[in-house]
Parts: sequence; structure tokens; C-alpha cells
Amino acid sequence: MKQPTFVPVGVSGGIGPFRSNWKPLFKQLLVWLSPFVVFGVFLLFYHVNPLRLYGSMVQSTFGDLYGLGEVLLKATPFILTGLAAALPAKAGLVNVGGEGQLAIGALFATGSAVFLLERFPAWLGIPIMLLAGALGGALWGMLIAALKVKGRLNETITSVLLNYVAGYTVAFFVHGILKDPESFNWPYSPEIAWTLRLPIFDGTRLHVGFIIAIVLAIVVWYVLAKTRLGFRIRVLGSNRHAAERAGMNVNRTYFWVLVAAGALAGIAGMIEISGIEGRLRPTTGVNYGYFGFLAAMLAWNHPLKLLGTSFLLGMISVAGNTLEIGSGLPASSATILMGLVLLFILGGRRRAKR
Amino acid sequence: MVHPDVESYPYLLKAQGLTKRFGSLTANQSIQLEVKPGSIHAILGENGAGKSTLMKMLYGVYEPDEGEIWMDGETVSLHPPTRARAKGIGMVFQDFRVIPAMTVLDNIALSVEKGWRIRRKSLRNRIVEVSSKYGLAVDPDAFVWQLDLGQRQRLEIVKVLLAPGTRIIIFDEPTSVLVPQEVESFLQMLDLLRRDGYGILLITHKINEVLACADQVTVLRSGRVSHQMSREEGLDGDALISAMLGDKALKPVLKPAPNSSEVRPEVLRVENGTIRGDHGEEVLADFQLSMRHGEIVGVAGISGSGQRELAEALFGLRKLASGTLTVHGKPLRGGDVRAFMEAGVSFVSEDPIKESVIPGFTILEHMVLDGIPVRNKGVGIDWRHIRSELENSEEAKSLALADAGRRADQLSGGNVQRMVLSRALIRKPDILIISYPSRGLDIGTTLTIQQRLIELAERGTAILLFSEDLDELFKLSDKLVVLAGKRLLGPYLPSETDKAQIGARMLKGESA
Repeated sequence: MKQPTFVPVGVSGGIGPFRSNWKPLFKQLLVWLSPFVVFGVFLLFYHVNPLRLYGSMVQSTFGDLYGLGEVLLKATPFILTGLAAALPAKAGLVNVGGEGQLAIGALFATGSAVFLLERFPAWLGIPIMLLAGALGGALWGMLIAALKVKGRLNETITSVLLNYVAGYTVAFFVHGILKDPESFNWPYSPEIAWTLRLPIFDGTRLHVGFIIAIVLAIVVWYVLAKTRLGFRIRVLGSNRHAAERAGMNVNRTYFWVLVAAGALAGIAGMIEISGIEGRLRPTTGVNYGYFGFLAAMLAWNHPLKLLGTSFLLGMISVAGNTLEIGSGLPASSATILMGLVLLFILGGRRRAKR
Repeated sequence: MVHPDVESYPYLLKAQGLTKRFGSLTANQSIQLEVKPGSIHAILGENGAGKSTLMKMLYGVYEPDEGEIWMDGETVSLHPPTRARAKGIGMVFQDFRVIPAMTVLDNIALSVEKGWRIRRKSLRNRIVEVSSKYGLAVDPDAFVWQLDLGQRQRLEIVKVLLAPGTRIIIFDEPTSVLVPQEVESFLQMLDLLRRDGYGILLITHKINEVLACADQVTVLRSGRVSHQMSREEGLDGDALISAMLGDKALKPVLKPAPNSSEVRPEVLRVENGTIRGDHGEEVLADFQLSMRHGEIVGVAGISGSGQRELAEALFGLRKLASGTLTVHGKPLRGGDVRAFMEAGVSFVSEDPIKESVIPGFTILEHMVLDGIPVRNKGVGIDWRHIRSELENSEEAKSLALADAGRRADQLSGGNVQRMVLSRALIRKPDILIISYPSRGLDIGTTLTIQQRLIELAERGTAILLFSEDLDELFKLSDKLVVLAGKRLLGPYLPSETDKAQIGARMLKGESA
């Protein structure tokens, strides 16, 4: 029988061409604006003018080079930890472990910088330090992967739990052998050599780590969208049964995808040390893994859209500072706005998918 | 149970001018239909003729774009299904809406019981009463995962009968999951329901069943009523076929006579094989199986007798609990699907929508998974080459495969079946394990695929054919085996046995 050559317009269930054109656009707008409206109501309770705040948010982001640099700076680790969530998601895995993988990556990077790379020139030292960070994250990812493949343990659970282990592991080292002897007993590492610091763009605090993050996002996108490996990963992520029936080694793919995700988050840890902080503290990169996970969810795990959502989250983070300075609200109240954005976007998508 | 007012109107339900469109596609166009009390109304048609859409409108899943439905002398709106159920319309779906982890009783309670408490005792009595009245043997305390498809269907029917006020029952392809003996008792049960005044809508594409039981027939073609007749006017099988197919002619399937003098090399052999199911239980014990070059081996059995497990074991998806499996004389271990594929084995699974369709991927992208060999282009895949190979493939054309760019998860069941079958045919494997090839396909396509399988075997492929249709098995197979009671019986030669014998072995095992 000849099948009708009817191509559904995005949503199944027969929505006419008229409705499909402008209504989703309006819906999209509503979805993006609603969290700001709700957060505005919240601000009104504290006698803060939301319009003025949002205005200053935009102003401080796009107003000058420094502001823009701050936002991009904030967005950088989100991109990488976001990739650490998005790549496994394409293989059907939920990696919430970006947080811990970043921490261990930062630990390895700092350790290598302090004990090994002190006198290395920048052109050699920085790449080695980057590899050390990637290795640390990869090893942490490998723990999750081994538990998944050998122990049949759910990677969502193990990755969350290992985040705590990672945090305490970092604390163990900065209280112990990695502690700066001149720190008056504060738990942080010695400062890494200035040759190991990432180059910075003039007039900002923004470092080349930002470029690294963008390049890696493009690489991940290219691998997923254009290569045979990426095709296999996407098949597995969409239907595990079909992947098995196509003769793929499901466990091996799971394993290496989780390891690669760990490496990406580990690089974020290295960049935090080498680009911003210069030394490891127990608080280095705290919550960046979760923000990255959020950015990946908002981007529907698309590596390039992730660049945009990371930027948005970076903007909101920076706005938190503005909020604190300008109105006396704690900077963390901006996380309320982040939560609202997530809620509305995921809720909106869920409805649209029906 | 049946509404007391049935006598006041000559029909339980009357549909007039029902039309349903999906975008630019008109699935149903001005359908006229009447369901009378105490009568069976069969809806006949090929895949995509609009049967399902029509039933979904009558069960309230879809709201009609045009037309009206009359019940009890007034127009009614049946959307959503809760409203249809409140009006006394029940539906027995093809894919049963049951919860495997729960018992039969609890499944029924879920849809029948109202209020806070589940009164299991009275419900059990009602279940026993209904099932003995209509011959619907089903154990209220069995877990649904333990039941075969036939039993699950009986559970669904009991559920519908126990729902308060049911007077119209819609059956969606009910006999597709039943063995011949079960079909007979199913038809008897329909007759009992008819005598008790239920109005029955029977969706099917099997003409024998229509001729055996229907009082009225409506034939759909391309979304329109192409033919309507009643038993008083006389039902005629040929007229029904031509009403279903239009002017398309059917080519009979031809199988060349086997050349018995020739001894063909063995390609697959299982010795003393034992297979365990998902719950660790033994599904098949100590069986022998041998397949030869170019031979079609048909596997008969009541659904759930180990067909899925056997097929998966022969493709390496499942390990043999004991015994040896050799392909081309080389022993293979389960768990390594790639080794089986490299040895020339291909597999069409019994549930392609769940196990083969990758959501969001196009037909073209599905083709490289054990079908058209991947041609590399740098680090990527040369999709244009694969597309042209697919579009030039005679196999895909003969099965009327949908456009290569369409998303597979938006295809109908029949089109998914066409996709996985095309893929297996294009691959031309040494050994093909194929489960239920004609499930969900219309007559025309079924005949095409049967002919294709015969041609494939002539070119040397050994085919293990799982089917629930004994006619198909007898038509295609060089030898038959039967799965029953954890054993693999046979092989039997189709020329030396008959359907009744095979059917009896399916039910009773070796003792038959």
C-alpha cells in the first residue's frame, strides 16, 4: 500500500500550519519571561525594583568589556561541567558527578603544579597541568563507570554520592600534604607558579580557559553529530535494545563515555585553579558541577545550545553580586532565579512535547 | 449488565458522517456505522485503512472533526475515553493495558473498583462468575507476567465485562495473539456475548473470522467505507477481499518443491541447549536444533512458550544456560552479539517498536544498523551513498517502505515492520532469525514478505521463522518444530502432519 507522504509538523497529533507558526513563539517568550516576573514579585517584597535590577543586569553584562568578561568567566566552568552531563545524557546516562570530577581535576592540577611543574615554562607546564586535571576527572569518572558496568549500580546515585567523597578528598589534601606552609593554618594549597597561570585578555579577568571550553563544546558537538562514534552513542542513548541488536558493546560505550565526561569536568577544575584562583581551597568550584548540570538540562543536552544556557547562568550568577552590592540581598538569592528559569523551561518543554 | 432501555432504540450506537483529519491526511472520511444490540459488527480493512482511527473515535480517544454519534436517541460526545466508558463502551486493546507486576485480581480492581477500599472477596466472586459464564478461564491470583498473551486477553475481556454498564465492546485484532484452538473458543465466547445482548465491534483483517461470526460488515479503504453488508444480504469472501484491496491483484505465494535427494550443509546447530528466562526460570530444557543451508524452519507454539528466549539465544543476546551452539561449525558463546553478526546471523525481533526503533532517528539511519553496510566518509558516515543504495533496493521497493527521511518513531506499526524486514532482506544474511514477520501487516504486504523469504531461502539463507499463523508456517516451512511445555518438539515435515496435529502439540506437548 502506498503510504501518504505526510510529514508531521514537529508535534504529532495534527496541528494545523496556522497554529504552529506563531503560537509556539509566543509560548517560548512566555516561558523565558515568566521566571523573571515571578522573581520580580519576590524582589518587590524586599523593596527592590525588579526592572531596575534587570536593567543593571543587562547593563553590567553588555555595558563594558569587564562586565562581559565576568559573565564569560562565570560561564566557562558551566560549559565544561555541562558537557560532562550532556555527553553521557546522549548515551542515556545521567552524570551528576561533574561536581566531584571538577574537584578531583582541580586537585590533580594543583598537585602537579605544586610538586612537579614549578619550574616548567608556560608552553609546556600549562598543557601538562591541563592533562593532569583531565586525568583526575577521568579517574573519578572511571569510578562511576566501573561501578556502573561491573557492579550494575545506577550512575545517577553513585555520581552524586562520589561528589561528597571528592569534596572531602580535596579537604584531606589541603589540610595535609598540599597545605601551604605559610598559610597560618588556613586550609589551602600553596600558590602555583605564575608561569602556570592562564593568559588573560586585556581589560578583563577573562582567561583563555574560555576559549578552551568553547572549543571542547564544538568538539563534543562534532563527535556526536558527525562521527560514527557519535552515531553509536546516540543510538545507545535512544534505545539500548536497538544498540545491543546492532552488535554494539553497550558496557564499553558506557564506560568510556563516563570517563570522557569526567575528563571534561576535570579540565574545568584545572581552569579554575590556573585561570582564577591560583591555589586550591576546599571551596574551589563548589556548586559549579550542579550549575553545569542545570545548563545541560536547559540546553536539552545539545552541546552548542549549552554555550547559550551557560552564558545565561553566568549572567544570573554575576547578577547575584550586583544584587548584594545594590540591595543588600544575599548573592545566593540569584539561585532562586536560576531555579525558576529551570522550572519554567523544563515545564514548558514538557508541555510542548505532548 | 446490559442497559434496560436497549429495546427502545434499534441501535446501541449510530455514527454519521464521522471525519477525522491529521494535518493534511484524512484518516476517516464520512463514516456511517450502526452497532445493534446482540450483534457482531466487523470492521475490515488493510493497515492504514483507518480502522484504528475509527475505533479511537468511538472509544473517545479522538474527537471527530465532523459528524455525530448517537446513543439512546441523542447525540453524544465520547471524548475523552472516561466519558465513553461511562456511556457503556469498553475496548479490548491489541497491546493489553495491564500491569505485569500485579495479580489478575488487582489489575481488575484497578479499573473496576471505586472508592477507598478494594473489596477483593466480592470482586473475586464476580470474576469467577463472569469467567465461567463466558468460558474465560483466568486465575484471579496469578501475576500478569506469568500469563501468556491469550490469558492476558481474557483478563482484558473480564475487565471490560465487569466495568459497570458495559454494553458495547470493541475488540482490536483480538485473534492475532491466539492459537487456532483458542480462536475457536474466542468465537464461541463472542457468540455468548451476542446472545446476552452486547453490541460487538470486531476489528480484524482476517476474512474467515468475519465470515464465521459477523452479522454486519463494514469494509474500510483509504479512510472511507468501501463496502457494507449484513448476514441477511449474504456475506461473500471474495467481495470482501476486493472491497478491502480495491483493484490490486493478489499474487499467490509459490514455494518450489523441495529437492529431497540433495543433502545441504548444516549452518546452525544447538546441542542439549537449555535457556533461562528473565526471572531465572527454565524456559526451554535440553533441546536440539539444526538448520541447513537454504532451509526454512518454522517454529510453532502458543505465545510465551519460549519463542522470544530462543530467538534471543540464537542471536547471542542471551546465553545458553547449558549446551553448545555452533554456527558454520564454529562454537559461539552468547553475550557477544557482534560475533553472531559476523558469523552471518541476522535477527528481526518480535517487538520491533520497543527493541529496534530508535526515537528521533530516521528510517535511513536505522538502515545501517545490521542492514546496509556503513560506508565511511572521513570520521563520519556517507549518508548520501546509503540513501541511494536504499532507494535503489528492490527489497525496500517491493515492501513499499516509507520515505527514508521519515522518523521511525512516528511510523505506524505496519511501517515499522516494513522497515525492519527491508533491513533484514537487504542484508541477505546466512542465517535469519525472524519473529512474526506478518504481524500487523495487510494481506498484500504479507504475501510479498512471504514470497521474499522464500526467495531468500532459495539463495541460500537458512531461516528460522517464528509465527503465530499456522497457515503461514505450513506455506513457508521446510520443516516445523513446536515449542510446548519447556520442550522443543520435532522436527516435523509439513507434508506429513497437519494443522490440527501441530495445534494439539502446541497445547498439550508431546503426549498429543
